[in-house]
Amino acid sequence: MSTYGAAGPVVYDPMTLPVDDNVNKYTFCVELKSGQWFLQKGKMIAYYGSIDFNGIGHGRLDRLVRTSFHSPLHASDWVVAEGSGRMLLADRAFDVNSYDLEDGNLTIRSGNLLAFQPSLALKQSIVPGFLTLIGTGKFVAASNGPVVFMEPPIRVDPQALVGWADCPSPCHHYDHGYMTGVMGGLRALTGLGGASGEEHQFEFVGAGTVLLQSTETLMAEQATGAVPHEPGVPGGGIPSTGHPQQPGTPRLPGQLGDLQRRFGL
Amino acid sequence: MFRLQGSKVLAVEMTGDAVKAKNGSMVAYDGQMAFKKLSGGGEGLRGMVTRRLTGEQMTVMEVKGHGTCWFADRASEINLVGLQGDKLYVESSNLLATDAGLRTGTTFTGLRGASQGNGLFTTTVEGHGQAAIMSDGPAVVLRVSPQYPLTVDPGAYIAHQGSLRQSFQSGVTFRTLLGEGGGEAFQIRFEGDGLVYVQPSERNTIAGDV
Repeated sequence: MSTYGAAGPVVYDPMTLPVDDNVNKYTFCVELKSGQWFLQKGKMIAYYGSIDFNGIGHGRLDRLVRTSFHSPLHASDWVVAEGSGRMLLADRAFDVNSYDLEDGNLTIRSGNLLAFQPSLALKQSIVPGFLTLIGTGKFVAASNGPVVFMEPPIRVDPQALVGWADCPSPCHHYDHGYMTGVMGGLRALTGLGGASGEEHQFEFVGAGTVLLQSTETLMAEQATGAVPHEPGVPGGGIPSTGHPQQPGTPRLPGQLGDLQRRFGL
Repeated sequence: MFRLQGSKVLAVEMTGDAVKAKNGSMVAYDGQMAFKKLSGGGEGLRGMVTRRLTGEQMTVMEVKGHGTCWFADRASEINLVGLQGDKLYVESSNLLATDAGLRTGTTFTGLRGASQGNGLFTTTVEGHGQAAIMSDGPAVVLRVSPQYPLTVDPGAYIAHQGSLRQSFQSGVTFRTLLGEGGGEAFQIRFEGDGLVYVQPSERNTIAGDV
């Protein structure tokens, strides 16, 4: 064993670090040539060269924010890296991968997006807890386990969904045959007789790609910011909690609500 | 002789020699092994007192015998470091095993330690031989040379070796106080000649929030 690990692990220096590519499954290297990248706060682990990190609120960056950032209320979770050098990004030892968008669009769970090039525009999705990237450029996303790409039509587990590209239609799907009726109600209430935990899925149809992670452990959500409190805006005024769920409508007295419906009354 | 079996298990082949390892990290062995707890990290009375005073505590056992012994700790990734007379600086919580011939000690780190949330002191390993350090996710080894200084997030730093000068950078400005900080308020800058080990994960540090 010689000094400085010549026989041991690979040693990187600014010349041998990959350019805009993965160093290993969990670390991504970005090269900045007096350019800019958006990244989530605190995901930089090391860098060579001179790079500045500025919060989005920084006055000088206003123009950049105007063109490629469209959810003002969660801007404080993002920083702009600016300068020259090579920078390593990582997120809690989760798998990281980069993706290229070419004049396309991709919607991703807010906690999974790590960084993106300013040539992409980041917008809040109508689906609460999700963000949409539009344009051409590269972005880096983290996932719990490697990401798999699927073609619709497909039904996916809500916890495994990372995002989707090119506009398939995301909607809920329930196995009504299993969940309703007297037996279904009993099963759901008591867990007896086997609630499989898979009675509810997300369904995608149409042309596009669906991104799934290979575990059902969700990444911690990042706030996507509140949306304007207006009629017709999903989740309007209510901070998103991650699951695209509408709050239940108020119940009339004497109504059993969900229970009633479950038992088919 | 240290060898990695997979990335999370360290296999050490011994022929009558000894290694120092984190207490309780043995997962299996074959052959004849004796495990002895070393009070105070085997650094003698002075080392023991230093460690007690500095809070850089380390419970170490000495493993000696003939055969193969396997070590692992909480499924952490393990990285091998070869030392040839130079010094390795590592947090005691990240140190898994060292050759018995290596000297361990405690050193003052100053503000860097404080920003990592690891206290003001760190462990040094010095001599000729091998050491195994642990990280959350496989460590990336980065070379620092005089023309290429390196800046590291304190939460991702795990160890460094060689002759490096470190300085503490603070990017705290009035914007940080307004909640518009860059998210990288504290950084450690390494200059000189050596290697720095970073992990693809950040410990919780005060700097993570500003």
